[in-house]
Amino acid sequence: MTKKILLSFPQKAAGQPMAMELIKTYHLDFSILKAFIDDNIKGTLLLEIKGSEADIEAGIVYLREHQIGVRDIESVVEVDQAKCVSCGACTAVCAVDALEMTADWSLVHHDDKCLECMLCVKACPMRAIHAII
Amino acid sequence: MAKSYQEINEKIARGEAVVVTAEEVIAIVKERGLKEAAQYVDVVTTATFGPMCSSGAFLNFGHADPPIRMGQITINGVEAYGGLAAVDTYLGATQPSQDKGIEYGGAHVISDLIAGKAVHLLAKSQGTDCYPRKEIDTWVKLEDLNEAYLFNPRNVYQNYNAAINGSSERLYTYMGILQPNMGNITYSTAGELSPLLNDPLLKTIGMGTRIFFGGAQGHVSWMGTQFNSACPRDEKGYPQTPGATLALIGNMKEMNPKYIRGAVYEGYGTSMFVGVGIPIPILNEEMMAFVAVENKDLYTNVIDYSVPKKAKPSLKKVSYAELRSGAVDINGKIIKTSPLSSLKMAREIADELGNWIKKGQFFLQEPIQSFPQGNAIKGLEIKEGESR
Repeated sequence: MTKKILLSFPQKAAGQPMAMELIKTYHLDFSILKAFIDDNIKGTLLLEIKGSEADIEAGIVYLREHQIGVRDIESVVEVDQAKCVSCGACTAVCAVDALEMTADWSLVHHDDKCLECMLCVKACPMRAIHAII
Repeated sequence: MAKSYQEINEKIARGEAVVVTAEEVIAIVKERGLKEAAQYVDVVTTATFGPMCSSGAFLNFGHADPPIRMGQITINGVEAYGGLAAVDTYLGATQPSQDKGIEYGGAHVISDLIAGKAVHLLAKSQGTDCYPRKEIDTWVKLEDLNEAYLFNPRNVYQNYNAAINGSSERLYTYMGILQPNMGNITYSTAGELSPLLNDPLLKTIGMGTRIFFGGAQGHVSWMGTQFNSACPRDEKGYPQTPGATLALIGNMKEMNPKYIRGAVYEGYGTSMFVGVGIPIPILNEEMMAFVAVENKDLYTNVIDYSVPKKAKPSLKKVSYAELRSGAVDINGKIIKTSPLSSLKMAREIADELGNWIKKGQFFLQEPIQSFPQGNAIKGLEIKEGESR
């Protein structure tokens, strides 16, 4: 299976052979989608990991045991339904129809189609769309 | 047989009025025919929920002790007008905040006030014999104010343009983000549900018309600014370009923050989403025919916003049915279309207004004055030299 996870490294978790462990011990294949380092205070990594369900689970347990925050990510943009009014302005800039209007003119967000261009974050007049990283 | 406002209001009082939305009425007219439908239906509700920049609020704070004649005023860091009497102000929806810029503007202050939040009021003055205080720093809520009413000089545009970008650079506009090389089309008018497209010649909408305004019962107070009843029309009278506009007034204390929301257009500024519903009385067959209009018969122009001039070219005349279909063909290129106003919320408002009328909580107000026909808008000429 393939899964997206967002890792956060506090300073104390730095210096661990995280990547090697995930590959060697847990047989996981992964690609780094996004990485941010915040002046040695905190690091953030968005990974797409591939492997068996059991290996992914064990790998996540390993990361958590080493003070690395792990969060499942469906999509890097989130639509706050309390703020969204289904105006449609975000759909204007979504080239892949990850954001589109349903038959009853509600906004729907298809996580799987999103290419993470983040243009919708700027296009939303209600500021209802947030980038997770 | 024609109906009067009074007859319809009597039916509303008895709980017998037949009220449907401007979308629902289309099938009724097709099924029963114009004549029978005009007898059967009493009121058709129309609505829109979209960005309306020309909006703002008159506020009266009451007097402190000792009192101040407020000169420079900010509310949550957003400047409000200090040129009225001592503690009156007008807060414009598009005014950006001094610290957060367009991300928090006058419209956000207005929606925070309607939501019951406390806002930070700062004001300065020279001090006068009658108003000795020179500064005030306090927090106020909507309930603390003497009066607070929205007075929006230009709302509910009758048939706004659709927008496209013919240049090679991305544009950030009040019509949203327009992708380069004719990458997308945006439009705002609610088509067959839009208030002023259902009464194209404003036969029942005029000064004093009672409306749904931000969740309250408000009124049409005047013709809106840039009122263009001289716009080109089709043979039935429907505008083919932006036409009439309305100035609206309503009590903020009775409004619902759901229907008045601050908005941000990246690279452009702050605006305000305003929820408006207008009831159209079916006085006769002529009004029934007007409200039965469909998206396929209502047209607007796709305007190229990359041309930095007042007169921007139209690339195509399109119907609202085409715009709603999700794509429009311009010179052989299929271009995606996206709305900017919420049809979902507009439908909710049309239903809510209908419920008020069915429950006998909302009565029709006949206009006390109609707005002029053939009123054209003027531009601004740049004159050189001394005043003349």
